[in-house]
Amino acid sequence: MLDIQTHMDFVGQAKAERWSRIIITLFGVIGLIYGAVVQQFSQTVYVLGVGFLISSLITIPPWPIYRRNPLKWQKPVNIEQKQVTSDSSDEGKKKKK
Amino acid sequence: MHTVLTRGNATVAYSLSVLAGLTFCCFISTVFLDYRTDANIKTVRVLVKNVPDYGASRQKHDLGYVTFDLETNLTNIFNWNVKQLFLYLTAEYETATNQLNQVVLWDKIILRGDNAVLDFKNMNTKYYFWDDGNGLKDNKNVTLSLSWNIIPNAGLLPSVRSTGKHIFKFPSEYASSI
Repeated sequence: MLDIQTHMDFVGQAKAERWSRIIITLFGVIGLIYGAVVQQFSQTVYVLGVGFLISSLITIPPWPIYRRNPLKWQKPVNIEQKQVTSDSSDEGKKKKK
Repeated sequence: MHTVLTRGNATVAYSLSVLAGLTFCCFISTVFLDYRTDANIKTVRVLVKNVPDYGASRQKHDLGYVTFDLETNLTNIFNWNVKQLFLYLTAEYETATNQLNQVVLWDKIILRGDNAVLDFKNMNTKYYFWDDGNGLKDNKNVTLSLSWNIIPNAGLLPSVRSTGKHIFKFPSEYASSI
């Protein structure tokens, strides 16, 4: 598979979920009214299908608007300090046994 | 919602749920409609013969022979929740041996979009009018009525009888030939 980044940040995920539901519900209501007017339920289903495609196009690919709030990771800690702290923690475990 | 697959799954599942809700709305919009309408039925030739019933016990049973006129307009019955109508013409009568007899003589399927204005003259029945016994000769009260079965997109399949019907008599002598 192609190595494309598909992540979104959390705010973007919330936006994407909300937008997908709004679009599909809106097209569902429009489809219901249009189908009732022309008295053909097939038209209702087709309008809902169009709504599904538009919603997929807008919310499934990771557009930049869903990456506006990236997580603020902390800076990496120095390696030497890390080894010292990990040794001391191992000793502590051995003593307890 | 952090991979393409989970977002795609959520979108598809929500679309199907919305579709189920829309189908329910389609059902609710038509469940209380009155599907009855009038129909004009007349009989043209009415004969009865007494012949061995080859399908049953080889005894002689009455075989009715009827040609009928049928005139009705069913366009108002179709709506977005009616896919097709199954029409059937029934003859109902009482005999000495059976309190209620119902025989289907003719049927027709009308799809949505077909011409639903019917005007048949001198139609032959599609099915034989066998009686279970010899109760057709001189039977004074045979009722022909048209009913239809509604095949919906979503919901119930009601069977509706039209408001028009026709009562006729069979002759008191067997016919020697048709």
